[in-house]
Amino acid sequence: MADQEHIEIDTLLDMPAPGRSRTGRAASLARLLHQDCTYLLELYRERESLLSDHTPAGDRIVSLSLSSPDLSSDEQVQLLHSALRKCLGLLECLILREEEEMGELEGEYETVRKGVRDRLGHLLHSTKVLLETEEDVTPDHQCNEEVDGVVGTFGAKMWTYRVLLELIHWANSASQTLHVLHSEREGREEI
Amino acid sequence: CRQGSAVVSRLAPPQQVRLDADKETQTLSVTWEDGHASTFDVEILRTELMEMVLNETVGVTEDQSTGKHQWNWTSPVPLECTSLSVKVRSRDGQDVSEWSSQQILPGLDLPDNTDSQMYPEGKTVPVGSNMTFCCIVEEGQQFGSLWYKDTLVKENMLSRRTYATTMTNQGPSNPSGTNVVCSNEKKMIIAGAVVFVGYPPLPSDLVCETHDLISVDCQWSKGRDTYLFGMTRQTYYTLNGRNCPKARNSNMRCGLEQWDGNWTLVARNLLGEFRLTDAAELGHRVRPVAPVNLTTPEVYSWNASVGWLWKDKVKSLNGCLSGHQTYTGYGLNTVVLKDLQPDEKYSVKVRCGSQKNFWKWGEWSLPLSFQTKMDRPVAPDIWLWMDSDNLGRVLWKPLTKSESHGQISGYEVILWSPEENSQQTLTLPRSVYSLPINVTDRGSKVTVTARNPAGVSLPANIVIPRYLPDAEDTAISKVAFNGSGFPLSWVAHANASCGYVVDWYNTSCTQDCNVEWIKVAADNTNTMVQSGNFLAGVRYKFSLYACSSESTVLLERWHGYMQELVPSRTVPRLSPNQEGADVQLTWDQIPLEHQRGFILGYTVYLTNASHLTLLANITDPQLTNHTVRNLVLGSYKFTVKAYTAAGEDGGATVSISLEPYTYWLIMEILVALGTMTCLLIVITIAFTGFSFSIFTILWKTMPGTGLICVCFQGTLDVKPSPHSMVHIVEDSVWDSSKEALVTVPEEDEEGTGDEAADTDEPASLRYYNQVVEEGSSSQRRPHASDSSASSTGSMDSGHTDVTYTGIQTSACYRPQMQSASCPEEPQTGPEEHLQPPVGSFGGYQPQCSWKQDSPEADGDGLDQTCLGSPTSVTSSQFLLPYDTSEEGKEYPSSASTWFHNLLTGKP
Repeated sequence: MADQEHIEIDTLLDMPAPGRSRTGRAASLARLLHQDCTYLLELYRERESLLSDHTPAGDRIVSLSLSSPDLSSDEQVQLLHSALRKCLGLLECLILREEEEMGELEGEYETVRKGVRDRLGHLLHSTKVLLETEEDVTPDHQCNEEVDGVVGTFGAKMWTYRVLLELIHWANSASQTLHVLHSEREGREEI
Repeated sequence: CRQGSAVVSRLAPPQQVRLDADKETQTLSVTWEDGHASTFDVEILRTELMEMVLNETVGVTEDQSTGKHQWNWTSPVPLECTSLSVKVRSRDGQDVSEWSSQQILPGLDLPDNTDSQMYPEGKTVPVGSNMTFCCIVEEGQQFGSLWYKDTLVKENMLSRRTYATTMTNQGPSNPSGTNVVCSNEKKMIIAGAVVFVGYPPLPSDLVCETHDLISVDCQWSKGRDTYLFGMTRQTYYTLNGRNCPKARNSNMRCGLEQWDGNWTLVARNLLGEFRLTDAAELGHRVRPVAPVNLTTPEVYSWNASVGWLWKDKVKSLNGCLSGHQTYTGYGLNTVVLKDLQPDEKYSVKVRCGSQKNFWKWGEWSLPLSFQTKMDRPVAPDIWLWMDSDNLGRVLWKPLTKSESHGQISGYEVILWSPEENSQQTLTLPRSVYSLPINVTDRGSKVTVTARNPAGVSLPANIVIPRYLPDAEDTAISKVAFNGSGFPLSWVAHANASCGYVVDWYNTSCTQDCNVEWIKVAADNTNTMVQSGNFLAGVRYKFSLYACSSESTVLLERWHGYMQELVPSRTVPRLSPNQEGADVQLTWDQIPLEHQRGFILGYTVYLTNASHLTLLANITDPQLTNHTVRNLVLGSYKFTVKAYTAAGEDGGATVSISLEPYTYWLIMEILVALGTMTCLLIVITIAFTGFSFSIFTILWKTMPGTGLICVCFQGTLDVKPSPHSMVHIVEDSVWDSSKEALVTVPEEDEEGTGDEAADTDEPASLRYYNQVVEEGSSSQRRPHASDSSASSTGSMDSGHTDVTYTGIQTSACYRPQMQSASCPEEPQTGPEEHLQPPVGSFGGYQPQCSWKQDSPEADGDGLDQTCLGSPTSVTSSQFLLPYDTSEEGKEYPSSASTWFHNLLTGKP
């Protein structure tokens, strides 16, 4: 089901579309990514027997703020693009660590995790197109335990937990920001 | 307490006590120096809360090389959890030294280490082991709870910041390990640890073999799951000391470049290792590699050769298997595949094994496809089905793939005429499988051949059988379907040199029927006729022919159903025909195509609303009529159903309303009166000649009612003739009911008394209203008992030889309105008297409860009521018989009195 959805979205993204449609599609993609990330965290909690009211301590991993009132929509998208690159880097690192720790498993968690990675990559391409600049879409994160502050197996799990929360946060931010942008552009074209 | 000893010891306390901790193994090593003692007391306390952890006397000998004592202790609690204080003293019996200075192993819960922590972290332990986990809470935070997986566990406080819990008999972990989580009072995770609980490896079944006579390939079973995953904890294998990096998941195999003869497999993970060994000679463990480069150098219609190549030394092997046939030979590299089919695509693959010391078949080669060449087709299976004397159809079955040996291009039909010594050849396309022929024009033999690109088939010949219409059929018998087909058997026929043919078709079919046939070898006298075209409810006719080169002779015929069904329609043309009180039902037979089973008979029902009463079960299917007898006036519905072995059809229903025969009855009465007049004249003449006296002859017609009363009373001294009597019974209720009188056959009376022997006597005529019969004898023919009784009564009286019963008055009619006294008519058989449906009779009530000897009918009452104006009679029960009974004796008297009064004008 998820694969089929990916194919459909890939097809949509490959199609030429006016700016307004591209914005709408990027917003839809971000919304789907947010759903996937939420589900991925649910699967992770289930796997790790972590109660939903048990939250990991620690600050945000990706500390960028979109809430500044001085930012234009394009600047917000630019910021969002950067945050998503970091998220993709974190996710790549997460996958690498989990495969080292547990081997290459083929459960539902791993399937959804791969889907999130692919969709996050698509969203990065979408925001790049929206920005109409030569933005980098590669993951922006050095997978380094010392940098990440990962100590021990449980520390790695908590880091994973925080990364998943980070993904949810930024997917949600992307969904909202792109939705606003889509509404603005739509209104502008109607005028 | 040894600390309380006040005695001054001669033993010196241990010096230079030192603590060394191996936190991974949770082992504390205590060393000290002391020159003499070999027994020591060791005391371990949790420093912060001064709780005793251990107080034990241990024997420790001095290490001669270092002059130190060393004692190891494994703590159940991780050494990081909290600080431990250790002191030692020497002991010699009861004599103990002073305690050494207290040494502290600092824990990680000291104030300068402010972070939250949990220990032990990332440990791998065997299933079933016990472990203590401790959580050190961050300075300034409040401990909340401890969770093992998703279970809240009870904690034990070890220090101000340290809380511990002990888990026993731990079960296997999931791939990511088992989490032990410590949270603060806000349920925020502040620390945690992961423990991996699993098993050491336990592989089995190590087997090594060679594929190329050089290298070795070993395989084994993984065995019990270790529950340990990932690069750190997974199982690693070595074979003869060499790593087996490809041995992962379910692919448990490892290879070596050279055959060693002995192999040792070591499986190892964090919990332990396991060894397996195997040993064998090279020639006993050969499983050849797959042959390569398969070719088919020669391909024919019925066989082909296949060749292949070997890698390296394997070509010296013996034995190979190709397809599913085994070929053997030294260095075999080509075989001939036999028994192939022409124009057929084949795929062949080869694998080999060692003929000597066979171990296992090798791997299959890649498949090679080829197609055999075409060959001429086989002769078609033909038959000739005659529609009439002259017209018929030549039929042949389409050739199957295995029979055509290539794409059929067409058929050739030759019609032979031996008398004329001529033939006609017809070429037909491949899609045609029949040809209409006129036998008179074309002769008596037919030949059919099939053609494909490879040639023409052998000819299929048949002698035209003589047409035998159904009327000339030999006895046709039934054959039952036995679940798989129709089993037919017959007596061997002398002139069946080329066997037998059984053909069959739908019996209902009249034109262009789908004829199927099978051929049976000459030495068989039975067969099972099977076809996928058989349908339920269809009658098939099977004909058996004996076939020879000179003739085709019909031997026997059968017909049968694969499955009998109920008829699909009802009997046609069902009609009722009233015949007096009887109704004759007639119908036609159901057309064959609608029978859907062998008609076994018909059932006739009287229909009352939705209720059916069985009147008759006609078991002769040829009989298509039935007479329902003795019906009273009214409306009736009759239903006739045909039935097969599967059951009855829906039933055809007809209605009839029985009407009285008014005019017919009048005619009957007039004829009867005329006859009687003649008879009376003859009797008068006869009586006059023999000096008999006749008192009175009275004919009187009752005006207004149509009643005709005849009273004849006389005395005869001669032997009375019981047949010389006429009974006339009338019904006052029916103004025109005289038509319903029926003639009673003579023989009915003959069986009722001694008079039956007098067959030379004149026949009597008796007329009865058959409705009256309802209340009288129900089992005998109508009125037989009454007439007998009357006759007997007359004869017994000695006064009358001819009795004409009763001119009855209307008072004689006693309407029996008490229906309760009328016993219900049993309807157990079709010949019993029938009542019309309730409500359909218009209020007429038969006097079924009347009895000749009933109180109401006897005595003076009757006598009196019969006097007066004679008007009508409704029942023969009111006739006035001379009876020997008490009651009966009064009737002639009353009648004669009434008669006498009538003649004399008395009231």
